[in-house]
Amino acid sequence: MRPETHIETSGPSRARTEEESLMRNRQFAIAFALLCFGSATQAQDAQAATKTSESDKPLYTVVDGYKVDPDTLQGFRTWRAAACDRCHGANQEGMVGPSLIESLKVLTKEEFVTVVRDGRLAKGMQSFGSDERVMENIDKLYAYLKGRSDGAITRARVTGIE
Amino acid sequence: MKQIGKPVRRNTQLLAAVLLALPGLALANADLKSKIDDPGNWAAQAGDFYNQRYSKLDQINKDNVGNMQVAWTFSTGVLRGHEGSPLVIDGMMYIHTPFPNKVFALDLDTQKIVWRYEPRQDPSVIAQMCCDTVYRGLAYAEGKIFLQQADSTLVALDAKDGKVLWSVVNGDPKLGAVNTNAPHVFGDKVITGISGGEWGVRGFLAAYDINTGKQVWKGYSVGPDNEMLIDPEKTMTWTDGELKPVGKDSSLKTWQGDQWKIGGGTTWGWFSYDPELNLVYSGTGNPSTWNPSQRPGDNKWTMTIFARDLDTGVAKWVYQMTPHDEWDYDGVNEMILADIKVKGKDTKALVHFDRNGFAYTMDRTNGALLVAEKYDPTVNWASHVDMKTGRPAVDPKFSTSKFTNPDHGPDVNVKGICPAALGTKDQQPASFDPKTGLFYVPTNHVCMDYEPFEVEYVAGQPYVGATLSMYPTPNSHGGMGNFIAWDAGEGKIVQSKPEKFSVWSGSLNTAGGISCFGTLEGYLKCVDANDINKELYSFKTPSGIIGNVFTYLHKGKQYLGVFSGIGGWAGIGMAAGLEQDTDGLGAVGGYRDLQNYTQLGGSLTIFALPNR
Repeated sequence: MRPETHIETSGPSRARTEEESLMRNRQFAIAFALLCFGSATQAQDAQAATKTSESDKPLYTVVDGYKVDPDTLQGFRTWRAAACDRCHGANQEGMVGPSLIESLKVLTKEEFVTVVRDGRLAKGMQSFGSDERVMENIDKLYAYLKGRSDGAITRARVTGIE
Repeated sequence: MKQIGKPVRRNTQLLAAVLLALPGLALANADLKSKIDDPGNWAAQAGDFYNQRYSKLDQINKDNVGNMQVAWTFSTGVLRGHEGSPLVIDGMMYIHTPFPNKVFALDLDTQKIVWRYEPRQDPSVIAQMCCDTVYRGLAYAEGKIFLQQADSTLVALDAKDGKVLWSVVNGDPKLGAVNTNAPHVFGDKVITGISGGEWGVRGFLAAYDINTGKQVWKGYSVGPDNEMLIDPEKTMTWTDGELKPVGKDSSLKTWQGDQWKIGGGTTWGWFSYDPELNLVYSGTGNPSTWNPSQRPGDNKWTMTIFARDLDTGVAKWVYQMTPHDEWDYDGVNEMILADIKVKGKDTKALVHFDRNGFAYTMDRTNGALLVAEKYDPTVNWASHVDMKTGRPAVDPKFSTSKFTNPDHGPDVNVKGICPAALGTKDQQPASFDPKTGLFYVPTNHVCMDYEPFEVEYVAGQPYVGATLSMYPTPNSHGGMGNFIAWDAGEGKIVQSKPEKFSVWSGSLNTAGGISCFGTLEGYLKCVDANDINKELYSFKTPSGIIGNVFTYLHKGKQYLGVFSGIGGWAGIGMAAGLEQDTDGLGAVGGYRDLQNYTQLGGSLTIFALPNR
């Protein structure tokens, strides 16, 4: 069980700081993430977030673009169960809600968690804070969506690694 | 054919209809009826009680409509999808908007805003309305404007000054029970429904007293007989080629356990009313969840046409079109009442173009099934409707339920289902032209892949249970819509006009021999009612059209108008963040191309012939 120390932090700026310090403390080489991004800033965000907060386990593992580790698969199932596709599109490409392919290139993980938990009500994003299906799987959901945003997971419908 | 081969029985039915007519006439709303009878007004969303969307005005006609020009325009100041139409009553126009559900009263002499009303609503309902914040319009009667807010509050406003006369809460938005439908005034009651089939909301139709807002009756779509206002002995349904009582627990018997409590059957369509029969006609939506393997059984009375007594709400007859829905083919589309020849015989008909791709012609006096035919030949989920049982003959290849096809079920992606969940037609209402005797139907021409999955119910959270991918109908004309002329007496397409996108706008026919509708690109089009491929007029409005065309007179001159403002289910891709996805066709599918034609923004465009 990975501790979720970041979930309760308040505000994007504090979240970003912690993320950056985490990044400094650990060295990762996530080649596929870097491939996707031109700018250094974007690359840092992506790189920082391709790790869980407290362990060295990769955020997600993907084979052939659509076979993923059990946690990431659970993240996909969470995405489905919460019907995120109704607003964000079956392939996260955006509909009435923004493209998550794009959003997850910009949002930190903490910002992501805050938006999912509290919603952005005026914009039509609901709060999933009371939805245990989502909140108990928020790390896995993030891993799945980040994999999609990074371009590492090449199709929305994933399966397990056999 | 067999369904009309019982003359003796039909005579008794006619007698019953005459007897029923007496209380109905006594209760008709005289004020609203007089406003409707004046063709200069547009006093109800469909122009009348029958959902005919036909106007007797003929100044604008097929010979001169080509000269039509924009007379004036009005921006609503609201983005997102603008469905429905304004009302016009005695020189005042009443305009509604999507959430936040503003109301403007305009003096047609000056187009000046006489009053405005904007309710305070918790913005959390925006998400509950996902995926668009549409609202289909106002109702009028006896000096009152009825507003059905998104948060389910039903409000009566004084038509003179916009002051709130009464307000009543119709559902619990925290549980996903919100409203998008227009309220409808019949007699001394305002009828409304509820949305939230994707939130496990249990649907109902409710009647409120127009003077006090007091709830007079509420009939659920599913559950125990008494809560549905179904009389096991007297409520009839088409069974084995004749009408029989539904019997005890007709809904409960078709659900497993308590699933009916979160079983959907919501009621967000256009209702109609026959004053002579005193019956209100409405449809119910999908059973919840979209994963049919979680709800064995027919799931009655979702996907059903209801005929309810206006005074009591008690159902006189019901007819389920899509038992055990496996495709989200809500049965809520408008019920059009018209007296037409069906297979050569004069009939008090109810005509309904269902999401499932079949057009049904019923005897509205008793619920007998007369015609059920595809109104898009590419519909493939069922080969036909068995006229004896009234049930569709489902092709197991396109089944998404393990109960229909043991090889299908959760996590199996079933491809090539036509129509898509959007239906061959969705809420966009059709029109009936008594001069041609035909129905003019705006349709979708879209297919889908459908993958259901197990989903757990959490109160107040989405409860969907399937992933869909939609795309233009393969091996067809490439477009995503058609505008058709339909013979409901024979069940045949008379003419079909291909359109690039779904026609998501309600059509209007007039005594001028024209049929007018809007397109998602934003064109208002008028065609010849006798030859719908003859496009007589076309004008590009500021945004895509999902509103309904309406017409009225002012100072003796005919005007014709329509909302533009892209959105709704077909147009949601326009709202934000569209990009090329790499996975082939997404849910937005072919609608992505819309961004090359139009952008968001609500406005009203009013047309007229040039002054001489």
